[in-house]
Amino acid sequence: MSNNIHVEDAKLLAISHHEGDQFIMRLHAPVIAAQAKAGQFVHIQVSPERAMRRPISIMFCDPEKGRLDILIKKIGQGTALLAKRQQGESLSLLGPIGKPFDLLDTSKRYILIGGGVGIPPMLAVAQHLKASARMVCFAGSEVPFPFKIRPSTVILPGIPSTAMMGLDVLENWKVPSRLASQQEYFGCFNGFVTELADQYLSALGTTEDCVLLACGPEVMLHAVAKLGQKWQLPTQLSLEAHMACGIGGCAGCVVKTVENGKEYYRRVCVDGPVFDAQVLAAYAG
Amino acid sequence: MNLSIPFAGLTLQTPLILLSGCVGFGEEYTRIEGFSNQDVGAVILKGTTLEPRMGNTPNRVYETPSGMLNAIGLQNPGTPYVIEHILPRLPHHETQFWANVNGSSIEEYAEVARRFDDSPVTAMEINISCPNVKEGGVHFGNDPVMSAKVVAAMRAVTKKPLITKISPNNAQVVDIVQACAEAGSDAFSVINTLVGMAVDIEKRQPILGNISGGLSGPAIKPVALWKIHQIREYTAKHQLPILGQGGICNGHDAIEFAITGADAIGLGTGLFYDPLLCKKILTDLEDYMQRHQFDAYQNMVGSLSC
Ligand SMILES: Cc1cc2nc3c(=O)[nH]c(=O)nc-3n(C[C@H](O)[C@H](O)[C@H](O)COP(=O)(O)O)c2cc1C
Ligand code: FES
Repeated sequence: MSNNIHVEDAKLLAISHHEGDQFIMRLHAPVIAAQAKAGQFVHIQVSPERAMRRPISIMFCDPEKGRLDILIKKIGQGTALLAKRQQGESLSLLGPIGKPFDLLDTSKRYILIGGGVGIPPMLAVAQHLKASARMVCFAGSEVPFPFKIRPSTVILPGIPSTAMMGLDVLENWKVPSRLASQQEYFGCFNGFVTELADQYLSALGTTEDCVLLACGPEVMLHAVAKLGQKWQLPTQLSLEAHMACGIGGCAGCVVKTVENGKEYYRRVCVDGPVFDAQVLAAYAG
Repeated sequence: MNLSIPFAGLTLQTPLILLSGCVGFGEEYTRIEGFSNQDVGAVILKGTTLEPRMGNTPNRVYETPSGMLNAIGLQNPGTPYVIEHILPRLPHHETQFWANVNGSSIEEYAEVARRFDDSPVTAMEINISCPNVKEGGVHFGNDPVMSAKVVAAMRAVTKKPLITKISPNNAQVVDIVQACAEAGSDAFSVINTLVGMAVDIEKRQPILGNISGGLSGPAIKPVALWKIHQIREYTAKHQLPILGQGGICNGHDAIEFAITGADAIGLGTGLFYDPLLCKKILTDLEDYMQRHQFDAYQNMVGSLSC
């Protein structure tokens, strides 16, 4: 095996705080940025006094400038410590880690579904594919989106005209997107992000070439898996787990799979975080 | 400076040993740039049973003050698989690999040992202190008679060095060490994890799928030092080396263990803090030995004056 995971002291170039206890960090980590693939994560040391690093998905990656952007929600002590970090400080990263999304077949139409802090891996996919494949991104959030949003200029089939808002960055890349929330945010679809995706699929002439990619809360992933079953689409889900080593050494981060009729516990850190929904015991039909 | 040490009849290239359960089956950490097997005297493979085991229901790990809980439940592919498919892939010229032997019966421990006897592992650690399994593990390790029976059964099938891993979860640690030494144990790993738990207050449920788990990391360091101190008189008299472990995270910790009586230094949870810990500890050890005029690591071991 090649030495492809790095311990890198990243400099915090900027940190911006957003509603819903969310914050975005821009890090200078040129070695990791040069290698990161869409769907991979970095295992961040929240403090030298803490045993377990926190796995955080890579959102945007700029290999030329050596930069990584990550979105974090304050949900516990570790993320609360990270939220207190200031521009100019350094953070120890371990990465890039994990099996990325399978995006090799550019003849496919990729349907990206992200929920909350599960949106970043979808943005990584969009950044990776850009014009090379057809795709559409549906993002859901119950707190204000921590990104710039604007009316989408692309018409999508099946989407109510009131749901016209999209993510600014995706618009810039000419990737169509729509937003969903139950909080009745202006221009967002009032409901679940998976309903939005379902309406889109219903209106598409043919769905054969579609692939679902998703990351988000468990309830959303269940709905995505059901959507995949309904439309019989290949479905790749990115999972979360508590992680200790982050590199496959402790078997602390496992998820149950069923492969050829046999049950296994697979490590989310290195066997995932992206899994085919078909093999996941909790999500397979 | 030469940091190689003698340990239970073996020569280890450094006193650092990577601990069972924290470094998979020996390959995982080598994927990290800057990590080198050459910095360690041995790598102890994940606890292995005769048949494959799936392990416990998640959650399996959880951070706690100055450490963490784990309840992996000995997930492993079984001894035959390890011997046929994993050991042949490992770079045995770079460091030594040791097995960590487990079972739910004395017969199983003996059978696993018999299989590993005919394999490239250079030693076997006897895990009679795993707190995360229903049978065997700490249920054997808390009883001097049962502990000795496990050691004797393994001794009967292998001449490779046997290192008995001691649980801190009982008071009569010296009795257990003595019983195991008399049954043929060549060395001791001190200590395995302490049993603990954590609660999700929103769900009002235990956080770990297994309810309880093993506490490791700096939180248990004082316990580990004390257990080593307690058994050191006996083990030194009988020339039985100790693999000290429990929360070692830096050079200072390693030196504390050495002075207290650790003939080798075990690194587990410390690697989760810093995967490139080994080089830093070796540098600190050399620096300390120079300042205090120790020309070999083993001269520092047990240099505690009370
Ligand atoms: C995730 C994890 C898995 C472990 N698995 C095993 C195991 O399979 N066999 C064993 O003998 N000890 C196991 N241990 C115990 C360690 O080898 C070590 O004895 C203990 O963690 C104390 O050292 P530390 O504080 O440096 O981690 C495990 C520890 C951790 C944290
Ligand atoms: S976190 Fe250790 S194996 Fe995944």
